[in-house]
Amino acid sequence: MKVHIDEVNCTGHGRCAKYAPNVFRLNDEDGYNADRGLTIEVPAGEEKNAMLGVKSCPERAITVVEE
Amino acid sequence: MNDVSTSTPVDPETTPEALIERFGRDIINDFDLDDPKFNENFNETLNFMVRKCPVVHSQVGRGYYLINTQDEVRAAAQDWKTFSAAQGYMPNRPEGIPFLMPEECDPPMHTRWRHKLNPHLSPKTVALMEDAIRADVNELIDRFIDKGECEFISEFGTLLPGWAFFKNVLGVPLEDLPALVNGVEEGTFAPDLEERSRHFKGVFEYLNKHLTWRATQPSRGDLIDTILAGVTYDDGTEAPWDHKVSVLVDLTFGGIATTTFVMGSALHHLATNRDQLKMLIEDPSLIENAVEEYARFFPPVVALGRTATRDVEVAGTPIKEGEFVMLTYACASRDPRHMEEPEKVDVRRQGIPHSTFGVGPHRCIGSNLARLELTATLEEWLKRMPDFRIKEGTEPTYVTGYLRSMRSLYLEW
Repeated sequence: MKVHIDEVNCTGHGRCAKYAPNVFRLNDEDGYNADRGLTIEVPAGEEKNAMLGVKSCPERAITVVEE
Repeated sequence: MNDVSTSTPVDPETTPEALIERFGRDIINDFDLDDPKFNENFNETLNFMVRKCPVVHSQVGRGYYLINTQDEVRAAAQDWKTFSAAQGYMPNRPEGIPFLMPEECDPPMHTRWRHKLNPHLSPKTVALMEDAIRADVNELIDRFIDKGECEFISEFGTLLPGWAFFKNVLGVPLEDLPALVNGVEEGTFAPDLEERSRHFKGVFEYLNKHLTWRATQPSRGDLIDTILAGVTYDDGTEAPWDHKVSVLVDLTFGGIATTTFVMGSALHHLATNRDQLKMLIEDPSLIENAVEEYARFFPPVVALGRTATRDVEVAGTPIKEGEFVMLTYACASRDPRHMEEPEKVDVRRQGIPHSTFGVGPHRCIGSNLARLELTATLEEWLKRMPDFRIKEGTEPTYVTGYLRSMRSLYLEW
């Protein structure tokens, strides 16, 4: 499973890393998603948490990439 | 022959007569955020609007629209080119108040400020304040726990956010807090617009003085010093002094005028829903999730405004260039298109896509601090007074405009 984090629409709510800390990392300095603009791999077993992170994003900034 | 009038079935719930009967006014064509009936019927009105009225209009003052559904609120909030913050966020903005930076400006000016300010309120920075805030929570509780009762709003709810912000972020003297809290409250809710303006100006004067003084002091490397250092705008000019003061005013408003309502509402909900209280006491790890749910359902920011920069259509309603548009975050957070049973408050709700901290580039800069204050409050409160309840014969009182706050909440244990 892969997810893409939108570079512009992520505005640092931090919900993704709260619900899926093993999937999403926040930038130490500003608290925005550290992988903004990138597509990242969800580690095996973390799919459910990742989906919770996707759903909790008020900006809909994270999308599941169809493979 | 086609009869146009019967081509769209009329919803009997949304006729002007039905609306007047139920809400005291035609809330689709003549909404008023400051109407006392909105304050009284807050939840019912939000629940109704998000289901039935994607966009409503107000004829108050210069008039404004409200966008109520989650998808439309998000789209407008993210489209800052069409929905500009540069004419302010308050409907019928009182004359003579300077614009608040960076909340009342657009990118790229907004981006320059947020880039500098964000690190002071990032999750990492805010985590360092946790022990101090937890100590403050306990110090406030110490003051009234032996009394067996308190008026939560004046004895805790308005104090903790002020302390957290003043001590950890602004570094201004605590004895000045009551006057500032009053200035912010009256500047927001005073029925008379000129009175609001007068209170706003008082807050500006105080913070201008404080900033002026800090400019003469050695640097502490804190948020105030970041504001004093300023930013360079894209046209090469340096942010002027009045912008710096307005940044401080903006942060102060956000820091002390909002979290109180979520705190008071959370405790009220727990006191009146013993099953939910029991869940949090038995499993305190649920508290962080409960905070999200309380933020979703008890939004201190009902709606913030933008100005349309071009003719645009939202959910079928045409909005003309120059018109004022409120993004009703409070409605968007209970949109049944995006969650099950949105009218129900459940601390176990999973995946809560709420817009209480706003959406788009203006996302509440204090959201991480607010979450920490709320979590620490619930954790410590439930440890020390797990068996608390609403004082017999009392009910909480509220005040509502584009913000909502609780005025009183009597608790006993």
